[in-house]
This record gives sequence, structure tokens and C-alpha cells, in this order.
Amino acid sequence: MTIGLTIYVLMWPVIVAAILFLIARGFFRDVSEAKKEGRPVI
Amino acid sequence: MPPAQEINQLGIMAVVLLLVLFYGGTMWMSVGISRKKENADGYMTAGNNIGFGISAASMTATWIWASSMYASATAGYTYGVSGPIHYGLWGALMILFIYPFGKRIRKVAPKAHTLAEVMYARHGRSSQLMLAGSNVLGSLISLTSNFIAGGALIAMLSPLSFGAGIVIVAAGVLMYTLWSGFRASVLTDFAQVMFMLGAAVVVIPVVFFVAGGPGMFEAGVAAGHVTPDQGSFFSSDAFMNQGAPYIAAVLAYAIGNQTIAQRLFSVREDLIKPTFVTATIGYGATVIGIGMLGVMALYLGVEPMNGDVNNLVPQMAGTYLGPILLALAFLMIIGALSSTADSDLAALSSIVMADMYGQSVGRDKANPKTMLLVGRVSMIVATAAALYFATAQFNILDLLVFVGALWGCLVFPVIASFYWPKVTNAAFTAAVIAALVAFLPVRFEWIPFTGAVGLGVELLATVGIGVVLGIMAFGFFGLRPAVVIGGLATVVAAPFTLFFLRDYTVLSASLVAYAVSFLVCYLMSFRSKQDFDFSVIKDVTGDFDNEAPVATGAVGSAELATRGAGRTD
Repeated sequence: MTIGLTIYVLMWPVIVAAILFLIARGFFRDVSEAKKEGRPVI
Repeated sequence: MPPAQEINQLGIMAVVLLLVLFYGGTMWMSVGISRKKENADGYMTAGNNIGFGISAASMTATWIWASSMYASATAGYTYGVSGPIHYGLWGALMILFIYPFGKRIRKVAPKAHTLAEVMYARHGRSSQLMLAGSNVLGSLISLTSNFIAGGALIAMLSPLSFGAGIVIVAAGVLMYTLWSGFRASVLTDFAQVMFMLGAAVVVIPVVFFVAGGPGMFEAGVAAGHVTPDQGSFFSSDAFMNQGAPYIAAVLAYAIGNQTIAQRLFSVREDLIKPTFVTATIGYGATVIGIGMLGVMALYLGVEPMNGDVNNLVPQMAGTYLGPILLALAFLMIIGALSSTADSDLAALSSIVMADMYGQSVGRDKANPKTMLLVGRVSMIVATAAALYFATAQFNILDLLVFVGALWGCLVFPVIASFYWPKVTNAAFTAAVIAALVAFLPVRFEWIPFTGAVGLGVELLATVGIGVVLGIMAFGFFGLRPAVVIGGLATVVAAPFTLFFLRDYTVLSASLVAYAVSFLVCYLMSFRSKQDFDFSVIKDVTGDFDNEAPVATGAVGSAELATRGAGRTD
């Protein structure tokens, strides 16, 4: 029970970290594409 | 037993510094994208061409608000290990289930600003007003709720008062959203999501290990803090009281909330799916993760400060985190409530601009400068109203139930209106009103649900289960599988729901609303002679501002004539 619950509690921050990375990478790609095309990012 | 009433606080200077840093930073971002002459359409949808990173960040940030963090922790504390799942998972799946409909909506109305505007093009004024009115009310309630959460947080973690807290939050959010509107909202969402998700990554494991680590679970059970139901992942109590009503409600919030629609209209059309999928996982993991603080509080035997379970998140942070991480947790909650509050302001102003001003004077006569002024004034008025509601401690709960119910009544008629040309304005309006009339006595238990009345409610609620599952299946698999799944769900659920659901009025009321809106809308439409031409919607819902970067199709009376020809009711 203890190991299972520990994994259950700690798995969410790991998933959040992965999404954080994806969003940050996507944002900097958006900025880079906008710069290349000479338009504002938003 | 951990300390329950004495928690760490941030000093007044630290809080002021953090708030200046946070709102100063977002203001700096907003100023960075401001234009001397703002475009009215850009103010509402940012040009309908936002990339993946910004839209996924914005979608995630907007849906994670302070209340979702507090509610998830409350669910963990109340229902145990499955509680946060029954809050966060269904909320996350709502984002996922709505994206197929989002793709359809963008296809028929690629340049729309609000869902209400599309309903005007599809049906006319009454359906538009139902959506627009409920959206304005919903945004105002959400804004109030976020200000209250901000004030309470600042009062709890600093020497500043609740009143000072709500004024600081309101002023900060208004300041950076006012000039650039939705463009500022989505760009600052990126910074806010970095704070929120980054803090969640650090705060959850740190609290876990500081509070005792894995040993807390056995100790909690041994101390009798946890009931067998709370320790089970298959708690029927958690499902019936938390999960099931939320499953029924999530579609309503996705369809009714303009903040979702606004992001749907702003993201590049080919990026709708990856954006929604990323936001689904981001929202789910963050909210369920924060809910783990509630689970830990349960095992640790923490008593909520002042008996209020909404205090659990700041209380756990204040109890187990040092000053630096406490500041990070503070920014996480400020980020969550600010990102939703700025989205509410942007959503509300868009509705006033597009649905009230724009449609009342006519698209060809709408002055973009006046439109922008209307948008900015509506933001100021909304902030003032929300501040009044927050300081007057106005009870927004009943209002929230009413708005949520109205959105639930709208789900089937709105979705059907995007696919089924036979749905008429009369069917739409009658379905929503009938569903609302059926919902209210069930939700507020105005009449006793015994005997035939109780059975009637349960029969409708059982049909409602089929409608909810049918709608979800329809988005992904199409009509035939949806009819099979909806029909099967109704038949299979019946033996379990009859003579049982009457004890769960919150759930029953939502399901009754779905069932009645479906039955009335279907029965009034299936023999209709109307064959609506969906292609006219995109001509009616175009840009307002002539200086928009992307030109739109024909506007004006010619469109209205075309639309009128397409509609027979």
C-alpha cells in the first residue's frame, strides 16, 4: 500500500513536468517562427 | 499530529514584492505587445492564428483556477485517494471531449468571436441572448470567485487584509488586460502557466517528504484518520457525490464558457487537437497533483484552518514549506486565479463587444474604435461589480448553480445546431426553457421526490445518462455509434438508477436537464422542414475591423438575406 500510494502521489508532478517542457518548447518555437516570418508572435 | 493552526506567513514586504514582481511582469508583457491602434478583432481573438505553445499554455492556465486547486484538495480530504481523480480527471476529459465539436465549430465559423455570435447566425436573437447572458453572468461569477480566492490567500499568508488583497488582485489583473484584451490574456497565460506548473512540480513532492514521506500512509490508517472508503480507489461515495455530478457538469461548462470558445476561435485551426490534448493532460495532472495535498492532509489528520476546507492548500503550504517555496506556492495560486480572471475579463468584453454592441448596430455599421471602447469600459465595470460582490460577501453559490444549469440545458441544443439542419430557433429556445423549468425543482428539492414523481425524475435522469454518453461518443465516432452507446447506456443504467437516484438530487437535476433539452429539441425538430445551410454562418460571423490583417468575406445586409433564406423558423 505504501509504495503504491507514494507512486500515486509523486507521479503527478512528473507528468506536469513533461507538459511544462512541451508547452515551453512550443512557445519558443512559436516565437522563433514568428521572428523568421517577421510577424508578431501574437 | 502536525501543527494545524500556526502556519508560516510571508512578511508584508515579501508579499508586496512578489505581487509587484508578478503583476509588473505581466504588465511588462502586455505593454510589449500593445499597439498604438489596437484592432477590435485582435482584441477578441488575436487574429485566429495562435501557435501551439501559446494556445496550449493559455488553455491550461485558463482552466486551472484557484477554485479548481482548492476543490481538488477538498475532494482528496473528503473522499480520500480517489477524490482528486473524481475532480480533476473529469474536468480534464471535458477539454478532450469538447475538441471534436470545437473543430466543427471552427469549420462552420472560422472567424467568429463568440459562440453566442454563431448562435445568432444559426438561429437568431433569442438563442444568442441565452448564451451571451449566461456567459456574462458566468464570467462575472468566476471573476468574483477569483478575487475572493486572491483576497483570502493574501490574508492567510500575509499580514495584509482580505479587502486589501482583493483590491490588489483586481487592479493587477485589470491593469494588464485592459489595453490589449485577449492578446494580453493569452500571452501572459504562458508566464502564469510556467509559474503554476513549475510550482506544482516542486511543491507537491517537497510537502510529501517534509510531512513524513511514505510513512504517513500507514501512520494515518493506524491513527484512524482514514476510513476504508477513503482509502479505496473505488469509493462509491466519491463517485456518486463528486465524480458523477461532475461528469454531467463538465460538458455544460465546456459549451457554456466563453473562455473555452474564445481560445477555440483564436488557435490556428490545424492545431486545435494537439492544443486540447496537451491542455487535457496539463490540467488533469496539475489539478489532481494539487489534490494530493488534500489526501496528505487527510492521512496526517490535519484540521482545516477555521474549519474551512478551502484553506487546505495554503495551510499545507504554510505548514510544510520554508519561505522560498512558500513564495513559489503563493505565486502558483496567484497565477492560477489571475490567468482565469484575465480570461474572464477578455471573454466578458468580447461578448459585450460582439454580441451586444456589434450585433445590435449591425456588422457593417459597427465602429471598431467604439467597439474597443465598449470592450474596455465593460472590463472596468465588470471588475467593479466583481469587487462589490466580493466585498459584500454576496452569496454567489445559488447564482453559480443557476448558470451551470443554464449551460447544461444548452449543451444538446447548441451541439445539435452545429450538425443537424432541422433544429429550429423555436426548438432551441423551447428546449432550453423546458430543461431549466425541469431542473430547478429537482435541484432545489421544491417537491418531494417520492412515488410517481420520484420515478419520473429517475426515468428522465436515466435518459440523461444516455444523452451525456451519446454526446461524448458523437464527437469522436459519429451519429450511429452515439445512438447505440446512448441507447445502451440508458437501458443498462435503468436497473441501477430507478428507486436509487432520488437520493442524489445534484446529479439527478443535471441529468434531467440533459434529458429534457434533448427530448424537446428532438421532438420539435425531427419533423421540421428546415434545411439550414451551414455555409452562411461563416459569412455572417466575420471580422468587425476593416483594418484586420486577414480580410473576411462579404458583410452586411446581403449576408442577412442569405441567412434569412437558410432559416425557415
